[in-house]
Amino acid sequence: MDDTVVAPVVTGDGTTAGSRTARRWHRARWAVLVLAVLALVVTVLAISRPPSSTTAYAPDNAQPTGARATAQVLEHQGVEIEHVTRVADAVAAAGPGTTLLVTPSPYMLPEQADALATAGADLVLAGAGDDLVRTVSEGAVSRTPVGDPVGPVAPRCDLPVARAAGDLTLASGLRAATGASSDVTLCWPGDDGAGLAQVAVRPALDGGGVPGDVRPVTLVDDPSFLRNDAVLDDGNAALALGLLGGHERLVWLVQDPLDITTTREDDDPSAPTGSLLPPWAGTVGLWALLVALVAAVWRGRRLGAVVPETLPVVVRASETTRGRGRLYRRARSRGHAAAGLRAAAAERVARRLGVPRSADATALTDAVGRATGRPPQEVVDLLYGPPPADDEALTALARRLDILESEVHRS
Amino acid sequence: MALTWRAVALAALGVVPVVLFPVPGTVLVWALVVAAACVVDVVWAASPRDVALQRRVPRAVRLGVLTRSELVLTNTSRRRLRAVVRDAWPPSLVTDAPARTAGGPVLARSARHDVRLAAGESARVRTPLRPTRRGDRTAGPVTVRSLGPLGLAGRQASLPVPGTIRVLPEFSSRRHLPSRLARLREMDGRAAVQVRGEGTEFDSLREYVVGDDVRSIDWRATARRSEVVVRTWRPERDRRVVVVLDTGRTSAARIGGTGPEPAPDAPTEAAEPDDTTEPTLGGTRLEASVEAALLLSALADRAGDRVQVLAYDRALRTRVAGASGPRLLPALADGLAVVEPALLETDWTGLVGQVRSRVSQRSLVVLLTTLDPAAVETGLLPVVGQLTGTHQVVVASVADAEVARLRADRSSSAAVYDAAAAARGDLERSAVSAVLRQHGVEVVEAMPDELAPRLADTYLALKAAGRL
Repeated sequence: MDDTVVAPVVTGDGTTAGSRTARRWHRARWAVLVLAVLALVVTVLAISRPPSSTTAYAPDNAQPTGARATAQVLEHQGVEIEHVTRVADAVAAAGPGTTLLVTPSPYMLPEQADALATAGADLVLAGAGDDLVRTVSEGAVSRTPVGDPVGPVAPRCDLPVARAAGDLTLASGLRAATGASSDVTLCWPGDDGAGLAQVAVRPALDGGGVPGDVRPVTLVDDPSFLRNDAVLDDGNAALALGLLGGHERLVWLVQDPLDITTTREDDDPSAPTGSLLPPWAGTVGLWALLVALVAAVWRGRRLGAVVPETLPVVVRASETTRGRGRLYRRARSRGHAAAGLRAAAAERVARRLGVPRSADATALTDAVGRATGRPPQEVVDLLYGPPPADDEALTALARRLDILESEVHRS
Repeated sequence: MALTWRAVALAALGVVPVVLFPVPGTVLVWALVVAAACVVDVVWAASPRDVALQRRVPRAVRLGVLTRSELVLTNTSRRRLRAVVRDAWPPSLVTDAPARTAGGPVLARSARHDVRLAAGESARVRTPLRPTRRGDRTAGPVTVRSLGPLGLAGRQASLPVPGTIRVLPEFSSRRHLPSRLARLREMDGRAAVQVRGEGTEFDSLREYVVGDDVRSIDWRATARRSEVVVRTWRPERDRRVVVVLDTGRTSAARIGGTGPEPAPDAPTEAAEPDDTTEPTLGGTRLEASVEAALLLSALADRAGDRVQVLAYDRALRTRVAGASGPRLLPALADGLAVVEPALLETDWTGLVGQVRSRVSQRSLVVLLTTLDPAAVETGLLPVVGQLTGTHQVVVASVADAEVARLRADRSSSAAVYDAAAAARGDLERSAVSAVLRQHGVEVVEAMPDELAPRLADTYLALKAAGRL
């Protein structure tokens, strides 16, 4: 304690701002280079490849479940396609002189179905549920789910679209309601109903339609004719192009499951698509991200490096003993275990009684018998008896040896 | 560059403008505000490289004794310095309680100091240190984080300031020294009254008192004087004692602690729940050997013998010789402080060669090693004959308290198998001891706490019997 070592005074670490920058660049240049190349590759890929979604029946989905084939052919034919995911957007875009395609929408609410029914456009519903079918056809058509279609059937109706398509394999679950008007045309009839139904609906006056005008609502029970993997089968392509290519504009609705909108007036157009969150959520999230980032930088910088210290190895001296004990146990080697216990006990007892190491077993057992007052045969059994038959006997033997030893030590 | 919690608070304050103008641009503007404030603060902070640092540490300190490292800081810049300074030391010196998970990180709050210095001022900060392991400990760099006037951000630099502390062995066995010295004094100068051979060196003549052994009457001296005179004897002096520490792989094994032995910080030991499945991990075998070597050397030096201590595995690690009296123990502590177990098989031929080359006269050679049967049979036994011819050899070995616990355990059948294995190991060790004794070697085997006093007792017994 008394002899204190005073180290020389240190000021700075001999580096300058320039040398530190150079050293940091030297250390980080490869990482920076690799990251830059990676960013470049990602950018090029993102720009060169048009995005492809994975949503079923989406016009930008090139997978088997998508409908990009149909959409692209329509675009080449001069049809302008507007892809929407919210009912409100669809209703706003679907004015008179457009076609509105509604792809299967299992989460559609009744209010949304009403909103669609009042849209001014020609409606094409592919694979719609019973509620939606009834709503848009004003009760003229109903749908019951049927099994897979068996084979191509003839259209058997006078619609030009149907005649152009010819024989098709369509699920046929559409039926005209009893007592409905004669405006319902059914095509591709099957055992339970028709594959396609067209209803001439008089538009509601508040929907922007012209009084007296009639707009067609076409219902197709089986939406698979739009899919990339089935569009080339039979006359599917002709049906799709005939139904959707009627007008210059086509509004293609693939409903977002989170969408609850009905018309544009009752929601904020800046909110993200189908969002259940309030409009300021994004801003607050950004702010939280900023705070988290600053906190990460605060906690991430250490006050100097960790000081290392070489530690001694951890090898327990008792490991070999434990290992040998496990070996005995696994091999169920009660004989060896008992012999070890007996020999150790005999040696300690012999030392205590002053019996020399060279003395034979009889001398030792006699001495022990005299010291403890036990019959010699019992001592012989204990110290030189047969190996125990099971683990309980081994434990009992160990306890009896302990008792014998304690008796000898007491004497 | 480093940020403080204030920067986080400033960023969090951005909630006010975000609530007032909930558009993403607000967040962007606020981020720019925070960044600008931090940059201004960094630019205004004093340079951490303009701080003159000087470290004062004790050269050596005994294990477990509280000491401190002093750091003198002088602000040589023209700005006001407002900084957090960390005087970094290895974890085994840090006084803070370690994390609850074993081997977890130690956050040394005691090593962090807040410093505020005007231009040209100096300050002194003290970091408490309590060494828990033997050996040389080198300090880490001093880290200075200089904060700006706003306290939002700062500049940081780690500066290499030299500093080394040598942690000396604890020598806890010195509590056994007074009683052994008393025994030594009893032996010293005692007339050969009851026991002839209590020492064999002629000491002095004195007057006969009733009860003295008539065989010790010096008749010549009696004839020259008018009263009956007896000879007195004293133990031999100026004998040579060579203590050899085996620092090979067997010395690295941890021996079961017999109590709260290795941890001087008792509160943490008590705070931890008593883990019954894993017994306490004690120090290495070498620690007990060092303790025994220190006690024996101190005792032999007081008894007037010349002590030298060697540490050897495949090469000579430490040799302390030629020191005596008050210089012996400091020299020994210094020499033994840096001895660490090497994971090598001990070269016994080389070790014996070392001993033979160091001492030519008859001496007491104490080998602090292990009685592991395999190691002894292949290593020590073939060469021990070269030593026993000229020297009195003592082999001292540390027994493992955990093996003793295993031997007595009868709680389950699995424990009985372990007990049988322990018993078998005892038998083998006692067989090895018997073979060594046949070679004329004294064997001492004791628990870590008892090895030092037992070895001292063996030494006293050998001295009393005149066998040195």
